[in-house]
Amino acid sequence: MRFHVFRVFAAGWLAFAAGVPARGGGLTPEQIRQLPPPADHRVDFGREIQPLLEQSCLQCHGRGRDKGGFRLDSRTTLLRGGDSGAAVVPGDSAASPLIALVQGFDPDSVMPKKGTRLTPVQIGLLRAWIDQGLTWDANVTLGRTEPKNLLPHEPVLPPGESTDNPLDRLLAPYFAARQFHPSAPVSDRVFARRVYLDVIGMLPPPAELDRFEADSAPDKRARLVRTLLADNAAYAQHWLTFWNDALRNDYRGTGYIDGGREQITGWLYSALATNMTFDRFVADLVDPPPGATGFTKGIVWRGVVNASQTPEMQAAQNISQVFMGVNLKCASCHDSFINDLTLADAYGLAGIYAGHTLEMVQCDKPTGKQAELRFLYPELGALDAGADKTARLRRLAQVITGPRDARLTRTIVNRLWQRFLGRGLVEPVDEMEKAPWNADVLDWLAADLTARHYDLKETIFRILTSRAYQLPAVSWREQDGADYVFRGPLVRRLTAEQFCDAVSSVTGVWPNQSAAQINFNLGRSNAPAASQFPAQWVWSRTNAIQAAPPGTVYFRKTFTLPQLPTVAFALATADNSYTLYVNGHKAGAGNTHTQIDALNLQSLLVAGENTIAVSAVNGGDGPNPAGLFVYLYLRRESPGAPPEVLDLGTDASWSQTEAKFRNWEKSAPATTGTNWHPVVVQGPMGSGPWPLTAQFESALATPAEMGRIRASLVNADPLMVALGRPNREQVVTTRPSAATTLQALELTNGQELAGRLKAGAEKILAEPAAPEALVARVYTRALGRPPGLAELPLALDLLGRPVQPAGVEDLLWAVTMLPEFQLIY
Amino acid sequence: MPTPHSWNRRDFLKTASAATLSALAAGYARALPAPPPEKIQPTADTVIVLWMAGGMASTETFDPKRYTPYAPGLASKEVLSTFPAIDTAVDGIKISQGLERIASVMDRGTLVRTYTAGDLGFILHSRHQFQWHTGYAPPQTVAAPHLGSVIARTLGPRDPAMPAFIDIGQRFDLGEGEELKAFHTAGFLGSEFGPFVIANPEQAAASVQPPAGMSPGRFANRDQFYRRLVAQTPVGEYGSDFQQQSLLRSLDNAHRLLGSPAAKAFDLSLEPRENYDKYNTGRFGLGCLLARRLTEAGARFIELTTEYIPFLNWDTHENGHTRLADLKKSIDAPIAQLVLDLEARGLLDRTLIVLASEFSRDMLVEGKADHGVKNQVVVPDVINDLKYYGMHRHFTDAGSVLLFGGGIKKGHLHGRTADERPCKTIEGRVVIEDLHATIYHALGISPKLAYEIEKRPFYTTRDGLGRPVEELFARAAKKI
Repeated sequence: MRFHVFRVFAAGWLAFAAGVPARGGGLTPEQIRQLPPPADHRVDFGREIQPLLEQSCLQCHGRGRDKGGFRLDSRTTLLRGGDSGAAVVPGDSAASPLIALVQGFDPDSVMPKKGTRLTPVQIGLLRAWIDQGLTWDANVTLGRTEPKNLLPHEPVLPPGESTDNPLDRLLAPYFAARQFHPSAPVSDRVFARRVYLDVIGMLPPPAELDRFEADSAPDKRARLVRTLLADNAAYAQHWLTFWNDALRNDYRGTGYIDGGREQITGWLYSALATNMTFDRFVADLVDPPPGATGFTKGIVWRGVVNASQTPEMQAAQNISQVFMGVNLKCASCHDSFINDLTLADAYGLAGIYAGHTLEMVQCDKPTGKQAELRFLYPELGALDAGADKTARLRRLAQVITGPRDARLTRTIVNRLWQRFLGRGLVEPVDEMEKAPWNADVLDWLAADLTARHYDLKETIFRILTSRAYQLPAVSWREQDGADYVFRGPLVRRLTAEQFCDAVSSVTGVWPNQSAAQINFNLGRSNAPAASQFPAQWVWSRTNAIQAAPPGTVYFRKTFTLPQLPTVAFALATADNSYTLYVNGHKAGAGNTHTQIDALNLQSLLVAGENTIAVSAVNGGDGPNPAGLFVYLYLRRESPGAPPEVLDLGTDASWSQTEAKFRNWEKSAPATTGTNWHPVVVQGPMGSGPWPLTAQFESALATPAEMGRIRASLVNADPLMVALGRPNREQVVTTRPSAATTLQALELTNGQELAGRLKAGAEKILAEPAAPEALVARVYTRALGRPPGLAELPLALDLLGRPVQPAGVEDLLWAVTMLPEFQLIY
Repeated sequence: MPTPHSWNRRDFLKTASAATLSALAAGYARALPAPPPEKIQPTADTVIVLWMAGGMASTETFDPKRYTPYAPGLASKEVLSTFPAIDTAVDGIKISQGLERIASVMDRGTLVRTYTAGDLGFILHSRHQFQWHTGYAPPQTVAAPHLGSVIARTLGPRDPAMPAFIDIGQRFDLGEGEELKAFHTAGFLGSEFGPFVIANPEQAAASVQPPAGMSPGRFANRDQFYRRLVAQTPVGEYGSDFQQQSLLRSLDNAHRLLGSPAAKAFDLSLEPRENYDKYNTGRFGLGCLLARRLTEAGARFIELTTEYIPFLNWDTHENGHTRLADLKKSIDAPIAQLVLDLEARGLLDRTLIVLASEFSRDMLVEGKADHGVKNQVVVPDVINDLKYYGMHRHFTDAGSVLLFGGGIKKGHLHGRTADERPCKTIEGRVVIEDLHATIYHALGISPKLAYEIEKRPFYTTRDGLGRPVEELFARAAKKI
């Protein structure tokens, strides 16, 4: 969008340029008489003039801006004037166009255009200043200011025990200056709940809480944080939410409809699960390898797009916001009013991503100018504007992740601080040009991240083991604006994903299937990995891998299972689509040949003979590649023994026919004969135009994950949306956390939660227990404590005698609605 | 034992509204003062948008042109309308056959024939709908709020127990569902102001009742239990915490809505059979009945859609004539009944009804006559099959908007379109900024009103440039 304030400015300057009176002859004697008289004292530049210029002029003519070519950086630039000539005549204020403009004789060209008009007293001061020869303190520049929080700085640690967390040593003088005496750290249980939720996003299991509390080792808190950080899969599945928001990545959403968007899910999950160093992580997003291109590709809607929203401009905006903590959105349309960034800065960065030369467009009007290719802060390193795009991106990634760029590290450590303590050292976290409430802590954390080879888990460890983090939580206060004083972490609310996972932890009911296509084996030590059966791509004709006529082919295979498997999934895909039946019942279908579907067959298989039948369609108007791939993941688990593997898959033993006949999908007597023929094997997974090997390996891990999928991996549902999971059309770095009525309605009568609690109650009732034990189980899982003396009878009363499923549902609802459950305190 | 404290302790919140608090706490948008003189005397309290989703051909509905009956061998360039025109209650206004009931109430409203949709290039319905509903074409650098959310944020609910923005009739798990979600949102204004979605009007009652299968008694019991539990939980030291207060208060609000008499408005089974039948042409018709009941109960902004489903309803890529005959049947009686019922209840004067669509259709022109875009529909030069008889391309240069009530003129026609193809706007052009400004104006909201997000002003009409079409109002608005 654009903002009409700019128009006013632009119009103002044009008026200025056109309306500057000719030197010496601009004002009539009558007009000169009407001017306020010059101040009758010696004016003080620093005290009287500089504040006036800052308030009324610099938004367009200083701090790097030069509307109409006129800059007020220094006395020299003032004397040089603008595109239309001189602005002042030293010693003669009445002949100075500047005075005519601020006096506003021409109502169409009054300066300043924005804000309030100058008062006669102010005009008198300016006149006196001009008449007295324009004294200007040479030390004062009103040009572009040095960007804040940009270059590296490592503060010296105040004296203290070397075993103390450096953050606490840095904060000691801060507390002392405010006569704040930190309280004792929170209890073990509160601490454990915090770090579980902050590191892996899950509630602590009750047994772990007990063990932790009983542990008498002095370093147990640090060890707990280390243990949680080492749970790579759980860590990755929690932080996926944070990065999906920031990188506006989602499993569905706008743009996909026209191929105008790409997911980075696989790359992102892998980066998190393997703890990719942050510098490499950023370099990959800026200069993407395959799989990571989606971030800078942006979201492209069908049709024409405004110049400030082209893909390359989106890339520039998102890189600036996410990695540098600075807003480039305003500057994409015109020189920004909220920071020092200019239109040329925006195009300088966007141009790096463009395949062609970009003409600068200012508020929808082409300027005829091109921007010099550069990063926002040239002091971090120069780019070679003549290089090709590949080389430019490589260089940009080097500059952003280079050792001089401490904005990158400050931005991410600040985001982490905000996550864990409720409010950033700099706030808002996307305005990193602002001063932090404690520069030493910010600078030190940033320097520490660099020193620790950009390992974010080290930063997380630093913060979570500090005493600052372990202080009792404090309430957000309205006055916590500009004069914020750190007194401890703010009370926070569970995110949508944390809430859903927490409910699942209490009930044992989890989503079934992951929408995120990720390799679940990453980050797990006991990876189930490799396929146990050499399944093949098959079709009805030779060379279908290259081309086969369009049409439907029917496949089937009959096999015997001596006993029913305990886990049974089909991992299937076909080019172009398929429908799969087990013993005559439809098990599922798919029409995306770039995707492997996991179909649960558990309820359809029988002990003894089974028939699996697939109708597969090769689409298109003419011959094109065709293939079917089905892997049957069949395991029989028994306690205390490794699972028995019964896997099967499409291979030469399957039959096919191109002619459909009645009951083809049913278990039938003779499957071969006149109608059925052997399939033609096309090759193993990875053959032909189907690069699905990695996805297949990931899918092989899926059955083991079935029924314990975390909320970050599934598509947004009305419950999560109500609880604040964003649309991910735009970068989101902070989610609003206040509860809303619509949210409460969803919690109170929404089908999603009601359904989960109903299933949860059934599951809980399936674990036999006395009513008292049942209440205790719900309380310890949800709140990490047994019910209180007053709570237990209330809960028992609700459960009913004998215990009613509805009572359990209602108990689950009430407990999960408690602030004690929904807040992190 | 901890003292019971939290449920009744609201002193903390008494000084500020929830919206203010959440705004401050959570980075929500702040209203910027509109420049004076922008206090406008409202002429409406409620807005009902009747959304003709998919592109309603104006020459087949509210702007009939020369009628050419179907005959094999018909040259497609000859066809402007596939229905004859009919008289309305207003001399000089004719509309299309099949809309006889609406024609009979035309003397209660104003017909705008010159709504001009944006030039967004290659047509994507959901993108034009996004622009119609937010005033901005996607993508945008911040999440743009829906018209209803801006109104909800600015004016709040009329009845505190009634959601301020109710969206009826659209499902989001169909084609372009993700694109629809992108603008059915309060965006940066915060989810407090998002739509209360009722996908199927027949099931509206369920959305304000206890979860399926839960009796009212059990629901009340659960709530009582919860309140006791809250009083018992040992979180005393955070009793005044903002997050806790905000959570408890929101649950309290939700409960109030679920238990309020206003909730009965959602239950269509309470409507006398005779009235119910007058509306019952299907989901849209019952949606009109629901909209009437909700308006009576104090709704602020209601949008009711025929539902956007690619290639269905108004999105006619073939069989346009046949399908429109059915569509008109489904909307004609209930819309007229809605107008008459609101009038009979004395509510029409303060309720603005706006019937609109993302753009119009034409048999040949895609986009605008002088700004064509890529054709999406094959149209033969000579029509030999009824399925080609209809308006199947997307025309953006003139579309119809029908307005009733809320201070709008009665029996008025605005704008003129060409009588021959391209049937474009000739005079009285109305663009989305101006249409929004008109709706806001009726509600007493300035088109220059802005909300601050990321330290920038976001105007309720693009760049604050929307101008209400003053001519549409019965009386010149009073500035107060």
